[in-house]
Amino acid sequence: MQVEYSKARWSEKFLVLDLLEGLKTTFRELFKPKVTVRYPEERMEPADRYRGMFRFNYERCIACKLCAVACPIDIIYIDVHDETLEVDGKKKKVKVLDRYDIDVKRCMFCALCEEACPTKPKSIWLTTKTYELATYDRNDLYFNMQELEYWDDRPKYSGLPEPEDSARLEGNEGQKQIGGTVER
Amino acid sequence: MNKALLTYLVWPVVKFLIAFVIVQVIVILMTWIERRVLGFMQARLGPNRVGPWGLLQGIADPVKLLLKEDILPSSAEKVAYFLGPMLPIIPAFIVLCAIPYGPPPTFTVTRINVGLLAILALTSTAVYGIILGGWASNNKYSLMGGLRSAAQMVSYEVPFGLSIVGVLMLSGSLDLVQIVRYQEANAWNFLPQIVACFIFLVSMNAENNRTPFDLPEAESELVAGYHTEYSGMKFAFFMLAEYAMMIVNSSLMVSLFFGGWTLGMFGLGLTTEVLRSWGFLGGLLGAVIFLSKVMVFMLIYVWFRATFPRFRFDQLMDLGWKWMIPLALANIVVTAVFVLAGQERLMYWIGLGTIGATLFYLFRPAPKRAAAREKVIHAS
Amino acid sequence: MFDVHEMEVNFGPQHPSTHGVLRVLLRIDGERIIDAKPIIGYLHRGTEKLFEHMAYPQCIPHTDRMDYVASATNNLGFVETVEKILGITGQIPKRAQLMRVILSELQRISSHLLWLATHAIDIGAMTPFFYCFREREQILDLFETYCGARLTLNCMRIGGMPDDLPPGWLEDLEAFLVKFDPAVDEYESLLTTNRIWKKRTVGIGVLSPEDAIEWGITGPPLRGSGVEWDLRRAQPYECYPELDFEIPVGRNGDTYDRYLVRMEEMRQCSRILKQCIPLIRQTPEGDIKAKISRVIRPPEGEVYHSIESPKGELGYYIVSDGKTQNAYRCHVRPPSFVNLQALPAMAQGHLVSDLVALIGTIDIVLGEVDR
Repeated sequence: MQVEYSKARWSEKFLVLDLLEGLKTTFRELFKPKVTVRYPEERMEPADRYRGMFRFNYERCIACKLCAVACPIDIIYIDVHDETLEVDGKKKKVKVLDRYDIDVKRCMFCALCEEACPTKPKSIWLTTKTYELATYDRNDLYFNMQELEYWDDRPKYSGLPEPEDSARLEGNEGQKQIGGTVER
Repeated sequence: MNKALLTYLVWPVVKFLIAFVIVQVIVILMTWIERRVLGFMQARLGPNRVGPWGLLQGIADPVKLLLKEDILPSSAEKVAYFLGPMLPIIPAFIVLCAIPYGPPPTFTVTRINVGLLAILALTSTAVYGIILGGWASNNKYSLMGGLRSAAQMVSYEVPFGLSIVGVLMLSGSLDLVQIVRYQEANAWNFLPQIVACFIFLVSMNAENNRTPFDLPEAESELVAGYHTEYSGMKFAFFMLAEYAMMIVNSSLMVSLFFGGWTLGMFGLGLTTEVLRSWGFLGGLLGAVIFLSKVMVFMLIYVWFRATFPRFRFDQLMDLGWKWMIPLALANIVVTAVFVLAGQERLMYWIGLGTIGATLFYLFRPAPKRAAAREKVIHAS
Repeated sequence: MFDVHEMEVNFGPQHPSTHGVLRVLLRIDGERIIDAKPIIGYLHRGTEKLFEHMAYPQCIPHTDRMDYVASATNNLGFVETVEKILGITGQIPKRAQLMRVILSELQRISSHLLWLATHAIDIGAMTPFFYCFREREQILDLFETYCGARLTLNCMRIGGMPDDLPPGWLEDLEAFLVKFDPAVDEYESLLTTNRIWKKRTVGIGVLSPEDAIEWGITGPPLRGSGVEWDLRRAQPYECYPELDFEIPVGRNGDTYDRYLVRMEEMRQCSRILKQCIPLIRQTPEGDIKAKISRVIRPPEGEVYHSIESPKGELGYYIVSDGKTQNAYRCHVRPPSFVNLQALPAMAQGHLVSDLVALIGTIDIVLGEVDR
């Protein structure tokens, strides 16, 4: 199929209609609804499948390490030891998770770990709809097992520091607030 | 006090200061209005953070620029580098004296009987600052921006000046007040001088380095053109000069083609006489009308910026020398013939016809592009 | 007095219109380009080497990051190549095939929108940029609803698709398509007949069909030169043979023709998508993956497979030693890289402003050029 457009007629040539048509378009656009989302005040709701921050569930995890194997960039660190438990009089070997760390700062949120997880429901998942992960210290993005499970308690990065936050920062109380080194 | 001193020194200085302040306020407002309107034309909001509806943006920007580090490139030519931003500002503000903002004598700073000539002479010196700044930065992109700007502004001076000649022939004066008075007695000049008006519109965009002629600062080609190396207040001076020149050119456009401070034609409507009969308030109303018309043309600058792609350097020259200048010359000849024959009225009809035809073709109901495409698809 | 004073200008790597970290070493006489030499490699991440150390499924997120504005087609090319070496190309369920087509056509639209946006803003028209992004944002929303990411999708798997379409997705797609066609008309009203746009694009960077073929150019630049070569037709994959669409070709091979070709391609994509929607409604839900083993260990051999990415022929060449879970060697034939090679020839004798238009019209993505 040949792409082609009809030649400009004399009226278009002499009355600069081609330019005026563009002006017409931009003028019409002046009154159309705008698409801007004014971010810190208005937020877009991420989709249900949105791949955001990790969440880990210790209870469900069977320490199979499949997620660590699936990870293309090997940022999931898992240490496991075997324990023998007495359940109903029987001796049972159980894998116990010692360490489940994710180096989120290197993560590319491909969700292959979630896909590899054999438990139902998944014990590691990314559909938490959380995307505001920025911190002032890169070490804040290394999450261990407990932090992965309970990161709700972590201070959220809110676009601009609230006045009382900054006051607390000055009073050196908000160690876990924005900035500063975080004790782990 | 000596009456002559009062008339020729004190009042003009006071009036100039008022005009200066008003222009500064317009510039500050324009930094907001331009980006806001541009945003609205582009399906976004534009600056809306500083103050209510972002109104204080015009103050926030200069404050930011004042606080910025003033960088001097190590290999820059120091004197010229400092002079660069200063030079365009001086003519831009001197010219403010020669513009009639309202009915004279109260609302003119000085009435020069060759006001138009003085304005043209002064505005054309603005290019020196840009060339100097571009050259002194010792940056290849800046140099190219400066050179482009030199060629562009010099070539567009010619159609800019020539397009005015038709108006001069009609009104028979270089005095802007006389030209406005002529327009209220007859029709506004954009009717008989529709071609000149178009040429003037194009060349005033080119003179001001505004889109589609923003080659000297073409950000996608020359990074930022002549002001690549400038920062802080020096950069702000370039911008200030640009906006002041935009205001000057819009004022010229209004005075020459759109009836200045009046809202009347053929001696009817809000003419100077009517405004004068209302005393000082009438004059103030005239000034408000004038400034509103100026703002319309400032918005047209923004509108153009939102719509058009940028010309290429050689095409810009082609347009200037091969189209605008011959067209302006032809316009002069045609106008001269009409004036000699005493048939100025006939030119109104030509102007009206052109505008009517344009509007007719523009708002034709048929969706011609879709139809044209359908035809092509079916043909293949 | 009349001797030539050449000036050397580094156009990039930090420059507003080189679309990333391309550096063009320019030798200019005034504004006329005597020689333009693209210098690449600033974004080299060793993707091909990475592929040799990763299991096949793990490579898919890395393919996203080559042409990062068209990751769905990158995924598609890779998974199809692995499927080919596994010999399961015919086993992909119909629904998965249609989903792949839908995603890659949406991706084509989104990539072309980004191209138009940047191309227009390079030439100085800043408004189409925002209009294009308005529509592109809706496509990204569709991607987000499907796979959870907006840009680096990781949305295909070897043997099928990771997830079924979420409920209501097809309706969203339909709603988008209804709005999309008038939007293309709107972009065109700003550019196609605009005399300034025509001045800047007609006759710029003319590539004759012979030259284009000799340079190995593919995709819209090749079709703009009038060669009707589209891998969706020439070497059909997935369910393209069942779909009815036209291949737009240009005549003069200049920037304006390439612009027209891409604009028409967007319309054709929309046409393909409209055909896919009823087809995918007929297929059973959930049937999205062929039965393959979890561990992918292809037999010994080598395979080259290419698809039509928005920028041209995207080919993957995989050598498998039959023993390991990762490729012995993986080579990528990126369309941008090959198309970029014609830049010096195209830029010769043009002005600096045209170089900007030319970089835009080739539609390069440096992530893909440098890999």
